Amino acid sequence: MRALAEPHRRRILELVAGVERSAGEIAAEFAITRPAVSQHLAVLRQAGLVEERREGTRRLYRARPEGFVPLRDFLERFWDERLERLRLAAELEEGRRRSGSSSG
Amino acid sequence: MAVRQDEAVEREVRIAARPETVFEFLVDPEKQVLWMGRRAELDARPGGIYRVEINDQAVARGEFVEIVPPSKVLMSFGWEGQQAAQGEHGVPPGSSRVEVTLEPDGDGTLVRLRHYDLPEQARDMHGQGWELYLGRLATAASGGDPGPDPNRPAD
Repeated sequence: MRALAEPHRRRILELVAGVERSAGEIAAEFAITRPAVSQHLAVLRQAGLVEERREGTRRLYRARPEGFVPLRDFLERFWDERLERLRLAAELEEGRRRSGSSSG
Repeated sequence: MAVRQDEAVEREVRIAARPETVFEFLVDPEKQVLWMGRRAELDARPGGIYRVEINDQAVARGEFVEIVPPSKVLMSFGWEGQQAAQGEHGVPPGSSRVEVTLEPDGDGTLVRLRHYDLPEQARDMHGQGWELYLGRLATAASGGDPGPDPNRPAD
């Protein structure tokens, strides 16, 4: 799950957001090796966040807006999941209290 | 898909427990982690810290603004590691607000959560989504099994 914190991938996404760039242009922005950059690009592409287009021998990359989860959708899902857990936890606690405070 | 200023994220759930019981889950760190996060630092008074570690990558942080037991908690909210300069990509700590209200409903509680005042730059496509889910997507896409949602610790 460390993939999330990968700063290179974040930077790559920033580079290709709204602008198509070649693998070489992207690699030039980094101190890491070209194959390492290619690997990050492959992961981003597999994740649906970046799309690739070939032009002759060049590979061009661009962020796919539809690959991003809009903030609103994300927050709705985030809070729905949390609130469902809150419901389960609070109901469990309430059950304990009720059975503990009354003998019948 | 921008979230407009007047479009707060609003969710609600009915819980079969008294407001007093539910309220504790919002202000007690030990109870907080039973529903959100794996570690929590909560100082439930105005200006007190609100910090909840969701997972390795996501830490929610803000401050309590208003606490009215057992009916309301208002806090500022955002994600650690997101500075103002990166505003385009996120919600920096304390930059938005989360209001939770608890209303008696029969023998239970109606919980309403409202997340609003999201930073303008963050309302567009660059949300938290990829911050949190990129790893899962990447793992799945590279043939691995991302397993259960890391946001949901095992019970």
